[in-house]
Amino acid sequence: MDFVLQLLFQGVGIGAVYALVALGFVLIFRATNVVNFAQGEFSMVAAYLMVVFAVDLGWPYWLSFLIALGGMAVLGAVFNLGVYYPLRHRTYLPVIISTIGASILLANSTLALYGPQPQVLQGWFDTPGFDVGGVFLDSQYLLIIGVTIALVIFNYWFFEHTLLGKKLQATSQDKEMASLLGISVSTMIMITFVYSALLGGLAGILVAPILFVSIQMGGTIALKAFAATIIGGFGDVAGAIIGGLALGIIETFGAAYVSVPYKDGFAFLVLVAFLVFRPQGIFGERVAEKA
Amino acid sequence: MSAQSTSSAAPARGNALALAAYVALALVAIFLAATLKFDGYILNILMQAATYTLAVFGLSVVLGLCGQINLAQAAFFGIGAYAVGLGTTDAHMPFWLCLGLGMLVSLIAGAALGASTLRLGGHYLAMVTISFQQILTLVMINAISFTHGPDGVRDIPRPQLFSGQQSYLAFCVAVLAVVGYLVWRLADTRLGRAMRAVRDNELAAGVAGIDVYRTKVTAFALCALLGGLGGGLFAGGFAYVSPDQFSFAESVVFLTMSLLGGVASPIGSAIGTGLLILIPEWLRFLKSVPGLYLAIYGLAVILIVAFMPDGIWGFVSKFFDRERPAPAPGAPLTLAPDDSGGANVLVTDKLSKHFGGLKAVDEVDIAVARGKVHALIGPNGSGKTTTLNVLSGLYSATSGSVSLDGRDITRLPAHKRTEAGLGRTFQNIRLFRTMTALENVVIGAERPGNKLIEGSSRAALEARAMAALDFVGLASRANELVTAFSYGHQRLIEIARALAANPTLLLLDEPAAGLNSTEKQSLHNLLERIAAFGLTILIIDHDMTLVSNAASHITVLNFGRRIADGESMAVLRHPDVVTAYLGAE
Amino acid sequence: MTFTRRQISAGLAAGIAMPAILRSAHAQGATIKVGMVLPVTGPAAEAGRYALTGAKIALDQVNKAGGVLGKQMEIVTEDDQTTNPGAVLAFSKLASQPDIVAFLGSIRSTQNHAMAQDILKTAKPVMFGGTDPKLTHMDNPWLFRCRPNDSYSGRVIAEFGIKTLGKKKWAIVHSTDAFGTAGGKALADALGASGATVALDQGYANQSQDFTPVVLAIKQSGADILGSYFTFENDLGIFARQLRQLGVTIPYVGSPSIVNVTAMKLAGPALYGTYGVADYAEDSSEGSKAFGKAYREVAKVAPDNQASWPFDAIHILAKAMNAAKTTDAKAVREAILAIKGHAGAEGEYNFDANGDGLHGYNIVKNEKGSIVFDKHIEFKS
Repeated sequence: MDFVLQLLFQGVGIGAVYALVALGFVLIFRATNVVNFAQGEFSMVAAYLMVVFAVDLGWPYWLSFLIALGGMAVLGAVFNLGVYYPLRHRTYLPVIISTIGASILLANSTLALYGPQPQVLQGWFDTPGFDVGGVFLDSQYLLIIGVTIALVIFNYWFFEHTLLGKKLQATSQDKEMASLLGISVSTMIMITFVYSALLGGLAGILVAPILFVSIQMGGTIALKAFAATIIGGFGDVAGAIIGGLALGIIETFGAAYVSVPYKDGFAFLVLVAFLVFRPQGIFGERVAEKA
Repeated sequence: MSAQSTSSAAPARGNALALAAYVALALVAIFLAATLKFDGYILNILMQAATYTLAVFGLSVVLGLCGQINLAQAAFFGIGAYAVGLGTTDAHMPFWLCLGLGMLVSLIAGAALGASTLRLGGHYLAMVTISFQQILTLVMINAISFTHGPDGVRDIPRPQLFSGQQSYLAFCVAVLAVVGYLVWRLADTRLGRAMRAVRDNELAAGVAGIDVYRTKVTAFALCALLGGLGGGLFAGGFAYVSPDQFSFAESVVFLTMSLLGGVASPIGSAIGTGLLILIPEWLRFLKSVPGLYLAIYGLAVILIVAFMPDGIWGFVSKFFDRERPAPAPGAPLTLAPDDSGGANVLVTDKLSKHFGGLKAVDEVDIAVARGKVHALIGPNGSGKTTTLNVLSGLYSATSGSVSLDGRDITRLPAHKRTEAGLGRTFQNIRLFRTMTALENVVIGAERPGNKLIEGSSRAALEARAMAALDFVGLASRANELVTAFSYGHQRLIEIARALAANPTLLLLDEPAAGLNSTEKQSLHNLLERIAAFGLTILIIDHDMTLVSNAASHITVLNFGRRIADGESMAVLRHPDVVTAYLGAE
Repeated sequence: MTFTRRQISAGLAAGIAMPAILRSAHAQGATIKVGMVLPVTGPAAEAGRYALTGAKIALDQVNKAGGVLGKQMEIVTEDDQTTNPGAVLAFSKLASQPDIVAFLGSIRSTQNHAMAQDILKTAKPVMFGGTDPKLTHMDNPWLFRCRPNDSYSGRVIAEFGIKTLGKKKWAIVHSTDAFGTAGGKALADALGASGATVALDQGYANQSQDFTPVVLAIKQSGADILGSYFTFENDLGIFARQLRQLGVTIPYVGSPSIVNVTAMKLAGPALYGTYGVADYAEDSSEGSKAFGKAYREVAKVAPDNQASWPFDAIHILAKAMNAAKTTDAKAVREAILAIKGHAGAEGEYNFDANGDGLHGYNIVKNEKGSIVFDKHIEFKS
């Protein structure tokens, strides 16, 4: 029983990480209909910012955290202006390629600026974790799970109960209608990019103490987060969270009971199964496009 | 794109000349590859460029022609490479057999993958291909007893005939030349046109009689096949394969190569591949700062995508592009609608379409008499367009039946209904936007079941398409891109496309919408001329003048139900109809 | 269309050839050049930096001592991007420069496999650090290994665990790449030969984010000692921390990466008290002490095996060329094979006919973050 509970905790923890990154995907996808292949690099850049300020310069953790998030907001804005905005009237393909280019650019300029050595970033808490009835609860994973829950609530409140959130909703549903209503579509898209860069950054800072800070850290998580996005049904915030958690749990139990080396494959097998048998995801996005 | 579309109308002599030049230049390239003394580094780069280009050709088919994304080309490339690697070293089979096997496995994998998800398309396809790629990579790494795992396969032999590095390179260049030619010509074959039509407008493609799903699966399978071919040759060229050469990152590289060079043409593929292999090599002098040259490479990708939307070749070829004069129209248009099925061409029986609880079409009976113009009218939201979409197969009926010329078509998909003789136009015009007027109409003429085209020879198709364009008065502009035409003219091209197919029944969805009064007048004249052929027409429109002048019979819908049906003038005076319209307006 | 393709081919050829031609015309014969393939970008970029520093220290020492055949020695590097195709291109680029007389290959076995064909064609000596035993047993006379191969590391881990620590029930954890699989197999074979039992033999894929299932499997197997072959430091760091968190405290003897500087930094206290086999251990010999001192002066951090083998490789090449009195590949090859008793940073080199220079490993212990030399275990064959 300890065994199963331990796996469950770990699965939920890693799943929450996927969910956080998946959230960023979903927001951008809803607003622009484009998958942002550089989403993982947002996480990586934020983690490096933390290392620079909190470790190298030795500034307080909370201050470094605020600076890192500020940096992510700027990055999100620049990303929108440089990568998405010039291509906004084109199909999704050039935009995808452009975000791929951006991901190569971000990863390698970080490498050029900071060098290749992986870094250690301390967690928020000094205690590594608690032992509850033979199950070890890692404090950082607990934090991640907590933040994920908080974000679900925040997103719900933000998109359903604030004017800005509703404007963002309207924009992602129908751009023409939104602009007829006097909503500035380009401002809304800008806000979306900034917000999802913040989310990506937050995810990066939160997982850094567990996975360490390295140039590659974003890419591997991002791919899993993609899968989570699909399982949850593209464009659905709650779906992305559930998809992420489901993926984490499937992976962890798959590794424990089926095969460790094929662990990464379970995510994609589940994904394919979903696409073939339930393409609308858990909560369902309408796939049909008709006259 | 435009380069090959204009070539379709090239006179045969020009084509022969171009072919001769192509063959000559290909021979020179092969000769140079075989005889020039390259050192190992350049040889490696050329070998990589030649084999990668083959895989990128595949992408120019699936992405360029058919508009579907494939993020697993490296996996198909890997299948080909491992087939040759494992087949020749472990199973001791001849190289050629292994190459063929690899291509076959790629083809089957591609077709299966495509068949499972191509109904969804777009991002879903992207995700499934990524998944396939990841799973294949894991198998290559972990199925050690079969694939040798991360060690890879080494000492892969080449075929005896081309055992030398240079002769093998020459062979690869020769394969490249042949495949490049085939891919180039593919765009102007029936299959190629179908792919381009699917890319430009899936809905219209289906209604033009193209089996959209099968076309997409075919494109995907062809792409995989070319990936397998490239990979097989790559394995022979480098003598060593390992899983990391066929990772997701490589698939992304293939895709970038394709988009960078120009997705729609094999020349673009070659340029993109060459550049993306070379750029990182050229930038190696920046190696003192780790990551700098790859950062610059990433930036270059962003800039090229932003400033050269059609890729480098698309950008360059614009300057060579000149429009060809339209061919002269020959014999005037003829129409020979099928007439085997009795007095009524179209009969619906209690036809219904529900969306959830909403009864958009509710037990509607329509009977369209042969050779007559029949109108379907009703206020906004009355279910007219839904009815039309159910008739043409874009929606499936909830209940009831539809029969065309005596044949039950209720369960047929859109393209099969077209084959059975249905033609239609759309309220919001749906043309194939990257093609010329002539090409658009040729696709119409190509309708399976069109008895007026014999043997579907290119000349016959073009002659019929020109006749249809001439009929609507646009023959002189046949070789212009459809986007160059005014709204009214685009509508005429759409009608010409439907007429070229020689339909049994023509459905016109609000043909007068958005036209000015002069255009409406000429539309009216056109309808009369079409009716004079004895073609049965079902028309939907708001324009009462047009409807009452043109149609001899009218069916009126309101809230999804039929409220009146009969001879035109009588129906228009029917009190329910008056109330419906006055109430609605 | 062909016109354009031919143009590309021609431009391509000229574009690549030009810098090479210029360079070789420029520097003909002024120095003795050694090519070095190393990762500057990609996941192993950090290791590449250690390797280059190690090689440069040796280069300085060689040149200060009079160089090779009266000329200065020079290192020409190419980035392999931490990929196999990258390594092939990098090597063939170096190999196309005729004035390069010998090469330093990769520390990664797969890359050496990938380059092997080109190495055979180039027919010049290549020193390398990959530890897959097969590399020196595939009829390629130009490969010379400057680290002990995995058949030794497996035997050393087994012997140390069984004889010194007295443990007989083993859990083996290894990555599923070439290095990890070969190592795991060597260890399992050595354990089998000594009559110990393998309670768990668990592979994992590189760049895993979570090792909980692996750690729990170790716990459940009831093993009383753990042996591991990890490729990447990140993975090892995550694994070690989870191992401790989930309460696994059995003795742990790891492959060389366990005492790698980066891994120790990442894992921190989680690796305290573990043992590692190390081809490079600073206190194991006079040669390694001297190298450690020299490296610290230049790089301000302690060296590891990523740096020590290129250091030895450069010295061995210089020694062999001076002994052969020529840079002719065949003569240099003979001279390398004739080297006996060379005191390098990694230990004492005695090349055998296969091209393996070292035949033993050091056992070191991680004492609260510093590496303490325990013993050296050497095999005659």
